[in-house]
Amino acid sequence: MDQPAIFDRSLRRLRRDRAAARFADHAFLVDHMADELAERLAMVTRDFGRVLVLGCHDGRIARRFAALGRRIVNADPGFAFARAAGGVQCDEDRLPFADASFDLVVAVGTLDTVNDLPGALTLIRRVLRPDGLFLGAFAGAGSLAWLKRATLAADSATHGGAAARIHPQVDVRAAGDLLSRAGFALQVADGERLDVGYGDPIRLIHDLRGMAATNILAQRARTAPGRAWLAELFGRFQAEAGPDGRLRESFDLVYLSGWSPSPDQPKPAKRGSATASMIEALRPKG
Amino acid sequence: MTAGPGLDPDLLAILVCPVTRTPLRYDEAAGELVSEAAGLAFPIRAGVPVMLFEEARRLDEP
Repeated sequence: MDQPAIFDRSLRRLRRDRAAARFADHAFLVDHMADELAERLAMVTRDFGRVLVLGCHDGRIARRFAALGRRIVNADPGFAFARAAGGVQCDEDRLPFADASFDLVVAVGTLDTVNDLPGALTLIRRVLRPDGLFLGAFAGAGSLAWLKRATLAADSATHGGAAARIHPQVDVRAAGDLLSRAGFALQVADGERLDVGYGDPIRLIHDLRGMAATNILAQRARTAPGRAWLAELFGRFQAEAGPDGRLRESFDLVYLSGWSPSPDQPKPAKRGSATASMIEALRPKG
Repeated sequence: MTAGPGLDPDLLAILVCPVTRTPLRYDEAAGELVSEAAGLAFPIRAGVPVMLFEEARRLDEP
């Protein structure tokens, strides 16, 4: 808790509150991730009695995971979202739920802006009962590749240097490592690229603001971009847009799944527990 | 009967202090969740338990 924070927690809450009022207009990314996770869950033949939805947004995530006999607890780092969903306001890396409280934890669209992601994953594993399932999704490394390049170019052209505008991002492999470090069993991390077409860069920035995904770096650029900066951004957009005047920006989504360990799960055999010798098996015959 | 916002007992049973991970006492009259271990009281606003360290009231201050 005392190490310098990457993200500004109070600004993160503020950005979510601001996005809450008109979230439905900008919910496509979160909807896509939630649909994907719901589809994956449908393949698991298991009853999940108590479910935690982390990053509940306006309640739309929970609706996809509602089923007979399931009790859903909604939670969000933003107050307005928590209120809209009838949930709890909390940070993912300071979860206020007792150990072994849930059979399923679903986290959609917020784990990319957590200060202590390893801590958050460890807490998620702890609040799961043994053999409970965690499903997560967020925008990872590679996302907003165009915007990253274009803002860097606009910064260099107008201020002669780069400003901190795009968050550090987690890639699929690192996410998989984090899952095992957090103590999950049978963990899987995989990625999916989603391309979204935009007619101008302001629409893209508007979408990011609408999904509470704009800059919340603690050490962020605090000067408002001027007219020259915007002209650079538009210039790059027009230069790189297709013949239809549209540009495709990418969102590289990371999906996580892992089980909290239980003695009943399949696991690798203990070292040295084999009864046949590998050396004998590999020795050339004759 | 209840003066507080009436938290769902099922939720109340699993909520813990985010700082110490110890049980909380529900103060219905004050509308707060009290962590004796951390010396903090977490407010309940519009029915939402606000489980943020930054928003909690320190018990040694009125």
